[in-house]
Amino acid sequence: MNEISDLPIPTPSMAGNLWPVVPSQRAATILALLFQLEQSQWWAPERLQAAQFRQAAELLRHARRTVPYYGKRFDHIAWRHGQPLTPEIWSELPLLKREDIQGAGDRLHSRALPKSHGKIATISTSGSTGKPVKVLTTELTATMWRVFSQRDIIWRRCDLSGKLAAIRFDRMKRAAYPEGLAAKSWGIGSGATLPTGPAVVLSITTPVEDQLEWLQRQQPDYLITHPTNLEALLMYAAQERVRLTSLKEIQTISEVLNPSVRTLCREVLGVGVNDMYTTQEAGYLALQCPGQEHYHVQAENVFFEILDDRGKQCAPGQVGKVVVTSLHNFAMPLIRYDIGDFAEVGEGCSCGRGLPVIKHIAGRVRGMVVLPDGRRHWPFFGSGKFSSVAPITQFQLVQKTLDTIEVKLVAGRTLSEGEERSRSRQKSGPSCRC
Amino acid sequence: MAGLAWPAIPDANGNILLGLLFQLEQSQWWTPEKLQAEQFRQAGELLRYARDHVPFYRERLKDFAWDGRQPLDPNLWAQLPVLQREDIQTHGGSTLLSEKYPKGHGKTRKVNTSGSSGKPLTVTSNAMAAIFWNVLTLRDFLWRRLDFSAKMAAIRFDEKRRAQYPEGVVVDYWLKSAQPFLATGPCAVLDIATPADKQIEWLARQEASCLITYPSNLEAMLLYCAERQIGLPALSHVQTLSEMLPPRVRTLCQEVWGIGLSDMYSCQEAGYIALQCPDHAHYHVQAENVIVEILDDDGKPSAPGEMGRVVLSDLHNFAMPMIRYDIGDFAEAGEACPCGRGLPVLKNVMGRVRGMLTLADGSRIRPDFGGPYFREVADIRQYQVIQKSLETLEVKLVAPGGLSDSESNALRQMILTQLGHPFDVVFSFHDEIPRGKGGKFEDFRSEV
Repeated sequence: MNEISDLPIPTPSMAGNLWPVVPSQRAATILALLFQLEQSQWWAPERLQAAQFRQAAELLRHARRTVPYYGKRFDHIAWRHGQPLTPEIWSELPLLKREDIQGAGDRLHSRALPKSHGKIATISTSGSTGKPVKVLTTELTATMWRVFSQRDIIWRRCDLSGKLAAIRFDRMKRAAYPEGLAAKSWGIGSGATLPTGPAVVLSITTPVEDQLEWLQRQQPDYLITHPTNLEALLMYAAQERVRLTSLKEIQTISEVLNPSVRTLCREVLGVGVNDMYTTQEAGYLALQCPGQEHYHVQAENVFFEILDDRGKQCAPGQVGKVVVTSLHNFAMPLIRYDIGDFAEVGEGCSCGRGLPVIKHIAGRVRGMVVLPDGRRHWPFFGSGKFSSVAPITQFQLVQKTLDTIEVKLVAGRTLSEGEERSRSRQKSGPSCRC
Repeated sequence: MAGLAWPAIPDANGNILLGLLFQLEQSQWWTPEKLQAEQFRQAGELLRYARDHVPFYRERLKDFAWDGRQPLDPNLWAQLPVLQREDIQTHGGSTLLSEKYPKGHGKTRKVNTSGSSGKPLTVTSNAMAAIFWNVLTLRDFLWRRLDFSAKMAAIRFDEKRRAQYPEGVVVDYWLKSAQPFLATGPCAVLDIATPADKQIEWLARQEASCLITYPSNLEAMLLYCAERQIGLPALSHVQTLSEMLPPRVRTLCQEVWGIGLSDMYSCQEAGYIALQCPDHAHYHVQAENVIVEILDDDGKPSAPGEMGRVVLSDLHNFAMPMIRYDIGDFAEAGEACPCGRGLPVLKNVMGRVRGMLTLADGSRIRPDFGGPYFREVADIRQYQVIQKSLETLEVKLVAPGGLSDSESNALRQMILTQLGHPFDVVFSFHDEIPRGKGGKFEDFRSEV
């Protein structure tokens, strides 16, 4: 039997063809990749690693040839393309730190991106450690993002005809309370290939009281939000004795999920939490195992290492720093990138998947902002753009009182008054003092 | 794609094949009801198109009570008239051609059927037929659980006569259209007209792990090996195609080479009809490609265990829609399969109507004459049985020494005992009994 046999039929693309669907080229690419992923998840760890190294060798050669930063940095590596890449050779590659990315600028950009990888886009991210970086992505990495978002849906056995509610960061400021934003499908990742039910989005900066009211009105089957926000939402729902009866599952993204939130969610709303581990820079790193609470590395997307203080691979049960290599970003290769998170290596999984296991993730922890009127919401400070104001390489925001936020900065120089004014103040609410 | 080793993004064609295969990996496990509902959704598209754009159907479906929007169901479907081979031949098939083709279905091409029923036919299809042919070939590879790096050997009809003994031809792929994205071992090809002893010598030399050939040819190879106790240790799987597979060949393959075989049921007109179940000797209808009905003499669906005529509808040929086409074969409907696949089951494929022996009471059976044992009676190298009337069988023989009276009597007795029905048996002697068009060999043919 096959656990994905209840997936919907892909969206038709051709007159006279409803089933099986001969997909459009864009959808076909995603389905062709999913077909491979359906198999590779069951491969033995050794086979997975061999395939990863085949791909990593392509990346390494490309980086050495076309990315100025790596040309020098990998000078001492004896490996030449055509030779098999081994764990020993790999471990000799120096780690890439966030500060390295901040310092390297466009020397990390490829001078010769293969045309087939598509157009380049830029993303800014503050990551887990408050050190903002800019990263280039390509249409290929965007495709990979979509593919893994669909694997996530497959793994969770979602009823795709259901309604999805997302309470998340709202870059375009279109999803404000009380209406939020309505969409016909769950999003680019799923909607383009597999038809889904509708989705509704609400800005995560909405106070939790209003979020709960909105959710009661929306009656979604699935909710996706940040763990910090979920925890606040759950505590408020418990206090108000509100249940959301339509909900089947909640998915958490973007921050570390405290295991206590899983328990709280079951107690308050009677549904489970499914967590995922993604980064803007490298896409999907790990998804929660179907049926377990630990995570499977998305080995087809990233080479994922957990290293001890001496740079050696951690054994199961050990906690070490997370070092990732995005296998398909040829515009700005991130090779052995120390993203600033920590994680615990897990044992092989009883589900049978050969994808490596992460037992726990320890990354960015974020508190809720408390407004002067006592209401709480998830904080957003526009930190991705801090570096456009001044040479800011790290930040941390601490709420000291109901109307004061301390902004700790690591900057190349002291900020002018104008620079200080131009950021932060509007983001946490007009009444806060920074 | 440059720089992309794994997971791969194939070329446009490969994306479509794998995109379809991804769907087929799921749909095979659907319930029969869900499969049928999706078939009818697709068939609705075909039917509407045929009525709007194909002269033959415009005329024939004039009185068919269907508004083009209501969902099709088995009752409605059963009211559609069956398309006979003669219907296609009447106008050279031209009135069956669509006046226009849907965008994206690709260029049309003509396929000539082998005409083994004595009624050759030209069918027009398009790129969709090739797509579904290729994707179901890939499904077959997966169902057979083949080692993709292994070497394959194909002994088959070689129209251009390039695959001659002693070398044959070796290509570095199993399926040409999948070559750009699917690395496989090589495939060695030999002309099926090669004598059995030379085929065996060639096959042993290839050290292939999978052999593809026709049942009649396989039987000859197996008998040759049985007699000389020749084993082929490299060989782990045999696949048969193109002709009816007598159950005895399955047994013989297990006895002589110690390996199983899998059979498939396909046709020139509509591609793959059924593939053998990965875990059983029966067949699964390729429901994503065709609707297969097994109908009794009254046109009613045959119950599991009953034999009937094969009536099929190619779901994706909009160039020359074949809706409820009586292909001229017999098959036995089967019970649901314990493997869990919801794809309908054919218990047996009997093959051509003219491969069926008609008994005195008018009933038909697939005859077994015990051909492999003829050699116990005399030096009989080849045979073919032809039913001339309800009472008479002609047995054509290639027997260099002829038959003595006692050998004739013994052979006659052997045939009638094996058959279990009384017939007049007439022997005729020949230097060679050639294969039919397309390399197929019929050990029996009915002229009744």
